[in-house]
Amino acid sequence: MNTQTTLLACLPYIVLSAGLLVVMLGVCIRRTHFVAWSLTMVTLLATLASHLPGYEALGGGTGVTMLFHVDGISYVFNVLFVLAAIFTAVIAYQYVDERFRFREEFYLLLLAATLGSLMLPSATHFVSLLLGLEIVSISLYAMVAYPEKVRGPLEAGLKYMILSGASTSAILFGMALIYAASGSMEFSQVSPVSGSAEGDIFYLIGHAFFWSGIAFKLSLVPFHIWTPDVYQGAPSIVTGFIATVSKGGVFVVVMRYVMESDVLSSEAITQAIFLIAAISMIVGNLLALQQKDLKRLLAYSSIAHMGYLVIALLLVATQPAIGFETAIVYLAGYFVMTLAAFGVITVISHRSDSEMASIDDINGLLWRRPIPAATLVVSALSLAGIPLTMGFIAKFYLFAAGIEGEMWTLVGLLVLGSAIGIFYYLRIIFAMTSKPEGQLDATQRESWTGIGAVAVLGVATLGLGIYPTPLVDLVQNLVRVSGF
Amino acid sequence: MIDGAGAIPLEHVIWFAITLFLIGVVGILIRRNVIFILLSLELMMNAAAVVFIAAGAFHDQADGQVMFMFILALAAAEVAVALGLVVQLSRRFKTLDIDAVSEMTG
Repeated sequence: MNTQTTLLACLPYIVLSAGLLVVMLGVCIRRTHFVAWSLTMVTLLATLASHLPGYEALGGGTGVTMLFHVDGISYVFNVLFVLAAIFTAVIAYQYVDERFRFREEFYLLLLAATLGSLMLPSATHFVSLLLGLEIVSISLYAMVAYPEKVRGPLEAGLKYMILSGASTSAILFGMALIYAASGSMEFSQVSPVSGSAEGDIFYLIGHAFFWSGIAFKLSLVPFHIWTPDVYQGAPSIVTGFIATVSKGGVFVVVMRYVMESDVLSSEAITQAIFLIAAISMIVGNLLALQQKDLKRLLAYSSIAHMGYLVIALLLVATQPAIGFETAIVYLAGYFVMTLAAFGVITVISHRSDSEMASIDDINGLLWRRPIPAATLVVSALSLAGIPLTMGFIAKFYLFAAGIEGEMWTLVGLLVLGSAIGIFYYLRIIFAMTSKPEGQLDATQRESWTGIGAVAVLGVATLGLGIYPTPLVDLVQNLVRVSGF
Repeated sequence: MIDGAGAIPLEHVIWFAITLFLIGVVGILIRRNVIFILLSLELMMNAAAVVFIAAGAFHDQADGQVMFMFILALAAAEVAVALGLVVQLSRRFKTLDIDAVSEMTG
């Protein structure tokens, strides 16, 4: 490990942190929304570009102190998170401009949350896991409760803060017990050393706490209670960020934990995770059926989606290459379609007092606002897993992975859940294509930056669904380079 | 003293911490005042910190105490944001009762 390689590997983190400071100083010197936004975009684009020199120097991955291990896998997730942040910033611009009194700090929080999420994919130590997780969470509390004038965000922010804080405490307590039992906080050395009965008990109790906290962050049943309220109350664009980057980051770090330690060699822990996944798939889909609010519906659907994704988590212990490949493809697809859905809600709420998120609000949307509505159609089809969309490729990967790992029950539930899912996703589409009532409000000034970004996401969902080969090749190459 | 003659065994510290943690959980569940909920959260984090310190001493490593520092910093950051929200709550609703804002269900 020489210094230059290490520095190159860390380049994205350095660039992003520096950019964060620049934006902060910029806000101190002069408050201009457009300047703050532009600096944020420059920072994010520079971070994206800074992955290139590092990637060539990386080889099979390099350790940065004992806390991080930067390799191809962390880079691909980094790129995914930064791209999600870029789309969030682009779509958020109009929304922030017209709704918030203090606009500039929003981007600081966005950059800080992105920085935290970049730490997660390369974390190999409990300290880096905790730091990454908390930088994301604490920035998100403020982002959720950011709008001052309306009631929903404060409620959502308080609920998110208390419950997320409790889950962090559970993760911390679990880590403490695991450390007590194993004497190490590095992922690769976490295992009960003593062989004594008491050490084993504390190891198991520790994992019970740890996994409940993680399930909380991923909103898996029975720790999902916060999800619909926070999704509904938070500004749509922040909800999109929570649903993608925050959950993706937690999922990736847990995957690395499972891969490097031998947690899943414990039958009890595997069974518990299996059970949580199975219940999430069923409960998420069933509760989504009766939702009248688009954001709540997407919240329950995200519970089911995270349940599906646990298949990849269970596979990663025995077959890391397939597990990671599946997770990358699935998360990439999930990111694109989820951001598209929340982006559409943000865009169509432009110039209206409240967010247009109920099923009634989107009635006949296709006739009033064709581009956002068409994107939402594509996104809903993709979330349902209809062929020729990215969602189908993603689900197909999970299906194949489940068969590879011989998890027949979970694969069965995945199919069943997708079948139920089609019903409520189609309800969105039916609502949008129904005959419009009343006048067309064509006088509304559109948020063209937002519509552009949303349309790109929609096209990406379709494009990657029709021709996924480049993405799949890239991912396979990366996984091979990372040396599994 | 965790190690050596007459020391407190690690298990006792852990059971103590588990009790502390559960008191925190119960506090979050039954208290309706936001300030008390935050106190309960703090209690849960500090329960973890106690175990880290004890386990670090047990294994003869500094890691446990390093982790304690991180927990302190983290709890401070969390409380800073949380109190901001509490100020918002008391300004807008003239109460610290968490149920006052709760209207989303389903």
